[in-house]
Amino acid sequence: MKKNSLNMIVGALLILIFGLLLFLFQVRTSEVVVVTTFGKPTRQITEPGLYAKAPWPIQKVHKLDKRIQNFESKFDEALTPDGYNLLVAVYAGWRISEPAAFFPKFAGGSVAEAERALQEIIRDAKSAVIGQHPFNHFISVSENELKFAEIENEILQRVRGRLQTNSYGIDIAFLGIKKLGLPESVTSEVFQRMSAERQVLVSKIESEGNARASTIRAEADRDAARLVSDAEAAALRIRGEAESKAAESLQTMNQEPELANFLLRLTGLEMFLRERTTLILDQNTSPLDLLNRPANASRK
Amino acid sequence: MSEHDHHHHDHAHDAPPAPVPLTPDDAGSRALSDALHSSFWIVKVIMAILVVVFFVSGFFTVGPQQRAVKLRFGKPVGKGEAALLGPGAHWAWPYPIDEVVKAPFSEVQSANSTLGWYATTPEQEATRTENPPGQTLDPARDSYLLTGDANIIHVRASLRYRITDPLQYIFAFTSAPDAVTNALNNALYFAAAQFNVDDALTRNQTAFRERIERRVDQVSAQQNLGITVEQVTLTVIPPRQLAEMFRAALEASVRSERVMNEAKSYANEALSRAQGDAASRLGIAESDRTRLVEAVRSEADYFKKMLPEYRKNPELFLRFWQSKVAQNVFANAQERIYLPDRLDGKSRTLRLDLSREPLKQKPAPEAPKGDGH
Repeated sequence: MKKNSLNMIVGALLILIFGLLLFLFQVRTSEVVVVTTFGKPTRQITEPGLYAKAPWPIQKVHKLDKRIQNFESKFDEALTPDGYNLLVAVYAGWRISEPAAFFPKFAGGSVAEAERALQEIIRDAKSAVIGQHPFNHFISVSENELKFAEIENEILQRVRGRLQTNSYGIDIAFLGIKKLGLPESVTSEVFQRMSAERQVLVSKIESEGNARASTIRAEADRDAARLVSDAEAAALRIRGEAESKAAESLQTMNQEPELANFLLRLTGLEMFLRERTTLILDQNTSPLDLLNRPANASRK
Repeated sequence: MSEHDHHHHDHAHDAPPAPVPLTPDDAGSRALSDALHSSFWIVKVIMAILVVVFFVSGFFTVGPQQRAVKLRFGKPVGKGEAALLGPGAHWAWPYPIDEVVKAPFSEVQSANSTLGWYATTPEQEATRTENPPGQTLDPARDSYLLTGDANIIHVRASLRYRITDPLQYIFAFTSAPDAVTNALNNALYFAAAQFNVDDALTRNQTAFRERIERRVDQVSAQQNLGITVEQVTLTVIPPRQLAEMFRAALEASVRSERVMNEAKSYANEALSRAQGDAASRLGIAESDRTRLVEAVRSEADYFKKMLPEYRKNPELFLRFWQSKVAQNVFANAQERIYLPDRLDGKSRTLRLDLSREPLKQKPAPEAPKGDGH
């Protein structure tokens, strides 16, 4: 009996699984599903999970990609209000948000068809928005002028509006500018202008450099002269101090100027005739006068 | 099949309690029973194998550069990071209960943008050659960025980024790498649109790069790409048509830099010379002061010492010291020449050869001319 019931269970399981496959289906987290009954979409599922259906050929399950798809627009020209031809390409991330609307609109949920429609909508939105923004809203060193993000946002809003009113079942998650450019003929004009700017820059750099260099030299000369003259003034002051200090000592000698004078002369003489001296003396010089008239001299 | 099984089972169980005598008829049914018995065994083995296969088929491995997510009835098992299955063996129920989705994954990824570069082909890239620049840039082939001051530059960028939310990165986009590349493209144009050409090229490329990084971060957060920017590396060049002009400007700045440096070193030298000069002047003045003050003080001290002597008898004092100094002088003199008056009263002629000795320290002091007093 045991063996018997085990076999029964296994058999029942197999039948169950087969049945499940017929009546149930899974919706993955990355999918949305349209269920058609005899070819007509009757149900849309956007949440993942396990769902039941009537078996083929009554109902059919169409799985569509729910993930964000990459869209890249063409790189085409549009005119700004201030008369510039600007080439702009944008990219966008879009996804199927309403599969029931999307599925019949694009030949059984064809992504390529949807992209063709998007291409058109985005091109229109792009040129409409560019038509409202002067050139310096696209490129500008001034933060107030630059409207890069605003432009992207305006295009996005426009595209969203169009998609909504036409109920394509598509949602745009994001949209951004991918590329900017100028018509080919304009690029040579830009080159000419840039080249002129470079020439101006070269002479400006050189003259500025020279001017600054000579300023530096002049300042250095001035500072150096001031340093030396300051030092000279300080030296003069020091000498002045020295002399006034010396004068204090001289005050002492004032008591007997004659002696002071004599002593100074003595030291002077001694200093003058200190070394390597050749003395040439005649008989009148004391004490050599002693050689001549000793008596006279001594008496004098 | 199960009907058969039942039938056979009944037979097998019924047989032992009521053994039937062997008849030719019984022999036939017995052979049938044996045959059924053996086929039943085959079926049982097959079913066992099926069951084993059923469970074993649930095993799957995730490679080292892969991540997987187990979807149970379409929903990921586990929340957020926990839903992500790393490298190794895992088990899942077979379809239609569980489903395994694997995706290539490495934490650090890179994206490249050449949407600001002139036309090249992969072969040219490999051989490092390029088409000669034309007069113009054809928007269909050549790309470039427009700077804030309406100049043209070429930029190529590569972005290293880290996937911080793999669930989002792998399962929310048909191609997240493309979305990241587009975010990088967008950031290049966005950043270039607000920098002037010199800042982007040379003067402030760091800020330019940081602006790009910040924009990619911002855009990818806005678009919920599940990444963070690690690093952007850039190659920025002026249009090849104007390479010469840009080089000239660069050389001019190098030259001007050199002129400046020369001026600076001149300034340093002049200042340090002046400082030295000033210091030496001060030093001399200082030492002059010391010398003068010392000298005068010693004179004064000497004077003070002599003063009492002098006051006793000034006449004698003067004579005494005069002779004393004269003695000293005579004693120290190197050569002494005595030159008496000629007897006829005429003056004598004296020849002096002053450079009689090689110069040592000081020139020989001039001797007083002692004739004809």
